[in-house]
Amino acid sequence: MLSESECREVEAFLFKEARLADESDYDGWEALWADDALYWVPTRPDADPETEVSHIYDNRTRIATRIRQLKSGVRYSQTPASPMRRVLSNIEIEKMSDDEYEAAANFMLMELAVQSTRNMNLWGGRAIYRLRREGGKLRLCSKKILLVDADEPIANLSFLI
Amino acid sequence: MAAKVAYDALIHPDRVHGSLYIDPAIFEDEMENIFHKGWVFVGHTSEVPNIGDFARRQIGRQPVLILHTPRDGVKLFLNRCTHRGNLLCTRTRGNANSFTCPYHGWSFGIGGELRGMPMPGGMGDSFDREALSLAEVPRVGIHRGFIFASLAREGMSFEEYLGDAKILLDRAADLSPEGEVDLSAGWLKHRFKANWKMLPENNTDGYHVVTTHASLLRATGVADSLAFNDEKGDPSLIRDWGGGHTELDFAPRYKMMGMPFLWFGGTSPKKLPNYVAAMRETYGDEVANERMMDGPPHAIIFPNLFLAELNITYFYPVSTNEVVQYYTPMLLKGAPEINARAIRQTEGAMGPGSFLLPEDACMAERNQLGLAAQYPEWLDLRRGMGREQVDEASGLLSSVVSDETTNRAFWRHYLSVMSEAA
Ligand code: FES
Ligand SMILES: [Fe+2]
Repeated sequence: MLSESECREVEAFLFKEARLADESDYDGWEALWADDALYWVPTRPDADPETEVSHIYDNRTRIATRIRQLKSGVRYSQTPASPMRRVLSNIEIEKMSDDEYEAAANFMLMELAVQSTRNMNLWGGRAIYRLRREGGKLRLCSKKILLVDADEPIANLSFLI
Repeated sequence: MAAKVAYDALIHPDRVHGSLYIDPAIFEDEMENIFHKGWVFVGHTSEVPNIGDFARRQIGRQPVLILHTPRDGVKLFLNRCTHRGNLLCTRTRGNANSFTCPYHGWSFGIGGELRGMPMPGGMGDSFDREALSLAEVPRVGIHRGFIFASLAREGMSFEEYLGDAKILLDRAADLSPEGEVDLSAGWLKHRFKANWKMLPENNTDGYHVVTTHASLLRATGVADSLAFNDEKGDPSLIRDWGGGHTELDFAPRYKMMGMPFLWFGGTSPKKLPNYVAAMRETYGDEVANERMMDGPPHAIIFPNLFLAELNITYFYPVSTNEVVQYYTPMLLKGAPEINARAIRQTEGAMGPGSFLLPEDACMAERNQLGLAAQYPEWLDLRRGMGREQVDEASGLLSSVVSDETTNRAFWRHYLSVMSEAA
């Protein structure tokens, strides 16, 4: 059973992850990840990543490359970083084992494309997280983002979603 | 009637006028003359392998369906109910036994034929059922499974349109030991708030790479090994294939470096034993070795297909300042060792979340915003005019990889298409 305090702890983790992404705090965000990381944005909810192409399918190495690129100062599609704020809601948490949780939340994200058009982009969907307790601290093992419009033409997705 | 645009006044050999990217009248002309009358890329037969498989597409602004029919193979139909015009199929892709229009219930078979309708008595005794079959796209041409189409009943033949550039499609398909590519891994779709012409102009532009993509070069540490920033050290060539088809040919660089699979992350042939064996088995050692050295094409087939090495990309224009680009991995039939990594490579390079294309999209959008400024009127395209020449081996106009030979080739063809029509 998921205790009240575990529930609080997992929610706090999701909110922190959201804030670090919103504020393009690249180091802080990268530090949340476990070694067996998967950062995944498929084009449809039940896509098979072995046979279908995804918008993003980053393992830990590729997350590190993504962060190095964002921090290079010349990732022009995120230079300067998009001002962003997202809201998480409809959170559901399940305890998978003694030290693992699966959580899911709906999100709505306002992103301002200051690098070019200055369009306010609205992103929305459901994020599914897998968290593991390592040395007393929660780590992010996977984040799968199901965009409502994942199979439609979308704008640049080079910020942290 | 609106005045005709004098295209030859806007397109000079060494410069083009800014209005070409922002004038709505020019966009209308392009839709008509390039995207509706001309030949455009639509899809690939591997997307619809089985009878009843369909995929929705657009030719210019018009909705079409690629459909694998029971008797006539792959055909293209306009996605419009022949009764009163309802969009017949709204699903992006799938398999169907029939298509029923929800408005009044007319139903069509997967050969395009009108199968039935509720209360047919009202149609009178002698209506011509066949004339109410789904409308076919008037002209379709298929080469190595790549499907092209024209909405005009008459005009330049498919063979004439493709010209020598069919060699580029061959080069892609011939990397498969079975001689076929497979585009079944799905498409990523990317919206650019920019004029469509910036895509073909950018996709074979070797000049922007070191600056636009500096962040990737730095993040992956390949900045020094790439010779893009050297006008003399890199033997890669930029080429004009005629007909607006252009190429950035890396094979000379790969040959100079003397290693196969530099186009595949420099993977050792030892890690691809089955692929290497299958290629040699099919094509013989010499031809297979050369193909594995030269790699896939990096080329534009005018106007909207981009053979992007192990990716296939195409686009359709939306308006003067909006275009949608699609990307899929170019899988190779009979090459599971390549394909296993090709999908991950596409995700790294292509698409709105990748490491490369967001910068191209950002630059295209910034170009569009900059071009709102009326002066200096012209975009300068003279790079390499003094040094481009007909390359002996290929017989094609070629130049240093960072030259604008490809942009000029695009505009030369654009001018001929747009002024012929005027
Ligand atoms: S418009 Fe399709 S049945 Fe009437
Ligand atoms: Fe680029």
